[in-house]
Amino acid sequence: MIKVEQISKTFKDTLVLEDISFEIKKGEFVAVMGPSGSGKSTLLYSISGMDSISEGGVLFEGTNISKLNENELSKFRLNKMGFVFQNAQMLKNLSIFDNITLPGLVANKETAEDIRERAAKLMKRMEIEGIEERDIREVSGGQLQRASICRAMINNPDILFLDEPTGALNSGATDQVLSILEDLNRDGMTIMTVTHDPRVASKARKVLYIQDGKIAGCKEFQKGVDRERELEEWLIGFQKKA
Amino acid sequence: MKLLLKLVQKDFKRNKVITTALAIFLILSAIFMAGGLRVAGIMSSSMKGLNELAVPPDYLQMHKGTYDEDAYQNFIETHDYIKDSLIVKMLNIRNSNIIINGKTLEKYLMENGFVVQNEGFDFLLNTENQIAVVEKGEVGVPVYYVEELGVEVGDTITLQEGDYSKELTVTTIIRDSTMNTALATSKRFLISQADHDEISLHMGKYEYLFEFLLEDGTSTSVLEADYKDAKMPSNGVVLSGKAITLINAFSYGLIAYIIIAISFLLIMIAVLCLSYIIRATMAEENYTIGEMKAIGFSGKAIEKLYQIKYIMLIVVAVVIGYLAAIPFGNFFSSSVILYCGNGVREWMKWVFSFIGVILLGLIVMHRCHRIMRKNLKSTVMELMRGEEKKKKEGHYSLPSAGLKHRNLTIALGELKCKWKEYFVIFLVFVFSSFLILFPMNMRSTVNNPSFMTYMGVGECDIRIDIQYNENLMEQKEAAQTYLENDSEIETYAIYQNGYVEIKNADGEFVDIRVQSGDESIFPLEYLNGSAPAGSQEIALSYLNANELGKKVGDSITIVYKEEEHPFIVSGIYQDITYGGMTAKAGIYFDVEDVEVYIIYVDVKDGVSFDKKTDELRSILSDSKITQINEFISQTLVGVMDNMSLVEGASISISIVLSMLITVLFLQLITAKEHSAIAIKKAIGFTNRDLRIQFGIRILVIQVIAIFIGTLLSKFLGEIIFGFMLSSMGASKITMLINPITAYLICPVAQLLVVFLTVMVGTKVVRKYHIRNQIME
Repeated sequence: MIKVEQISKTFKDTLVLEDISFEIKKGEFVAVMGPSGSGKSTLLYSISGMDSISEGGVLFEGTNISKLNENELSKFRLNKMGFVFQNAQMLKNLSIFDNITLPGLVANKETAEDIRERAAKLMKRMEIEGIEERDIREVSGGQLQRASICRAMINNPDILFLDEPTGALNSGATDQVLSILEDLNRDGMTIMTVTHDPRVASKARKVLYIQDGKIAGCKEFQKGVDRERELEEWLIGFQKKA
Repeated sequence: MKLLLKLVQKDFKRNKVITTALAIFLILSAIFMAGGLRVAGIMSSSMKGLNELAVPPDYLQMHKGTYDEDAYQNFIETHDYIKDSLIVKMLNIRNSNIIINGKTLEKYLMENGFVVQNEGFDFLLNTENQIAVVEKGEVGVPVYYVEELGVEVGDTITLQEGDYSKELTVTTIIRDSTMNTALATSKRFLISQADHDEISLHMGKYEYLFEFLLEDGTSTSVLEADYKDAKMPSNGVVLSGKAITLINAFSYGLIAYIIIAISFLLIMIAVLCLSYIIRATMAEENYTIGEMKAIGFSGKAIEKLYQIKYIMLIVVAVVIGYLAAIPFGNFFSSSVILYCGNGVREWMKWVFSFIGVILLGLIVMHRCHRIMRKNLKSTVMELMRGEEKKKKEGHYSLPSAGLKHRNLTIALGELKCKWKEYFVIFLVFVFSSFLILFPMNMRSTVNNPSFMTYMGVGECDIRIDIQYNENLMEQKEAAQTYLENDSEIETYAIYQNGYVEIKNADGEFVDIRVQSGDESIFPLEYLNGSAPAGSQEIALSYLNANELGKKVGDSITIVYKEEEHPFIVSGIYQDITYGGMTAKAGIYFDVEDVEVYIIYVDVKDGVSFDKKTDELRSILSDSKITQINEFISQTLVGVMDNMSLVEGASISISIVLSMLITVLFLQLITAKEHSAIAIKKAIGFTNRDLRIQFGIRILVIQVIAIFIGTLLSKFLGEIIFGFMLSSMGASKITMLINPITAYLICPVAQLLVVFLTVMVGTKVVRKYHIRNQIME
């Protein structure tokens, strides 16, 4: 689905990403881990077309998105990608429900009624019904993050990008979000997330470890294994090297 | 200190556009403040200087015709509060008989008199502000004609009457403390005694100016009452020294008042912008301020750190403003310097403008201090958590039918929630619109034929004045016969003007000018009541009614031919002619009492006013023929000359202000909304969408502001214009607006300027990259 081919990124004379290549298959759940400042978030935004790259290319179902102009990229993001950020970024002048439906209405592929219906279904699935008309400052962090996932899903994207989705959540809320991500992936949604949290990464099928802008390692979990334990052991290896 | 300067330097680099825009605002405010006060200083020094050197009279009574010299002499001797007196013999010469550089003055309304230099006081000064001296064959020309006709030293003036012709060479330009301004309807030319004697044998008619200087502390009203009681010569205009000063101050001072008014508005806007910027900056710096407080920085130290930037800006603005105000103030005072000279207190222009900029600096610094104090009151934790004390902005709802016009819907929705943030830009747009339209509307009002109604008569095309002649009656009849037989004349009406005495509020009799004739031909709109009907009713001009303390329905006693006649005030009308002191009544003056016959003429549609005026001038050569639009513009020349200067300046300022505030606000608002911009980009909005949304918000605000500004320029403008003209005799002005200019061209031009600025200013959204925003 996404083929990352030897991408590099230089920012103010500093090489932030260096010669990175990997692939994300349809329905796959990929987590990107690494120490602070390693370039993992930059990788996420580069792949999703939110940030430019200096060299290489990103093929999204055969389309080289690094060659698209700003307008084409916006359309691409709107229709094919969903985004969830650490601080559940939402527009403060819209209610929760309008925040969720906004990308659907902007895409204008379906009727407003259909979009509202889907938004309601998504909210029900995320167990946040009843907060539709609330202000974004009137709900808990967990509720807001789940609303962000609803917004990301409103246009039935091909892939969901998440940047530290549980970074600002307490333990209970983290569990809720993780369970939702697992559910979505089980239903066929392709997911790529950047995280510090091994609990989140353990839900992924594939984990990339980024260090100094390069892929330092890649771990693919087999079915039936204790992912959390295996991941812990794998990460210890990197920590020792550091 | 070094550290502070480094911090400031860094801050300037980071916020180049905002800092520059704010600096321009402050500099503009300083220029206007210092410039306005410089004009005021120059004006004050010039007028004082002219008065000190020329010594204008405390009381001046004009009179045409003979008078009893012994009685007058006796009056002077028996009133010891009269310090000095003077009888100026002014030889009035018809404008059509005065030729300057080959052209007659017939189209000018000014009454021109030739005098010799006075002795004792009321001196006519030259451009060095010294008592002017002319020799035989020379003439001193009023400075008014330097401005109006470009007369220069060395030019020739010819006086011609029949076969007699007298050539005079202009050797000096005259500053006249009594009749200097365009608002004074008489002008004095200075000639030698020999020429005066010679010319008077061939042409002209004497008018006497009885002038008095009073002992200190004596009121002119005492002299006025005694003068009337003694039945001294008084069939003309009377002026007190106070009235002369008022006319001069109005004429020269108008521009200073306007500039000072604009500067106060600018200062208000600059302070509002500054407050907004400081609040916006401080909000961003909350965390850092919290940290500084946490490690023990005192509130005062933090305040000093942040305030130094604004103090430096203010100092720069004050210095630049003060220096730039020198050419700026000089430009706007060129007229008063031409008419009055530099004066004797030149220090005033330096000190006034200095006080102005210091005051501006203090106002802005005080405001800075207050906002910072308020911001620094928060606790360390409040600051570090970034807790906003502001109320929630509220929500807007997306339409249930979907987003057909997504940018419009979102822009309007957000504007609904954030309208308070746009209050300053709204005020600036209102102010800009008002500033463009107000002078423009004043000009179109004065240029509109309907403005005639403020000249004491209904709408007409041409005015014929028959005066200064032994045979007024014959001339009037000749004019009447011609007009009667001219097929191009639609209608005309003849009025006779004369003087009667009226008892004022204090029970004293005063002379007033009364116009008598058929008021139904050119009906006039009355402020109150209606035109006089029958022989027992009188209508008073607004100023006369005020001065006499009369209102519609009041009774009034008129003395004509030493007989008292009871009259009722039937109406009050506006009139700016003859100093605003006129009346209308069915009094039929004896031929010898008629001062002037005025004929108002309406020509048929399609007849050229210019052609008809020229034709009438060639046939009725003894009369003064003026097109009404010329009559209006010449009557208002003192006001409108200044206004056209202000009009140009105000349009430029408005455009600069609109552009500046737009750039400034776009910078501040996009910086404030960086997070929303990033979210919108992430969910699929393009940079173009975001630029359109910001553009819509600004333009919607501007459209509303233009609407309000347009209304203000009409309704508030009427009040201000009425106030400006009330001293001349018209208090209730209806703005006669050119709808295409005011309601179409101006708004479109303003919108276009802001639209282009938005196009450039919104490019800034590109710099708010999602990556930087989200990863913060």
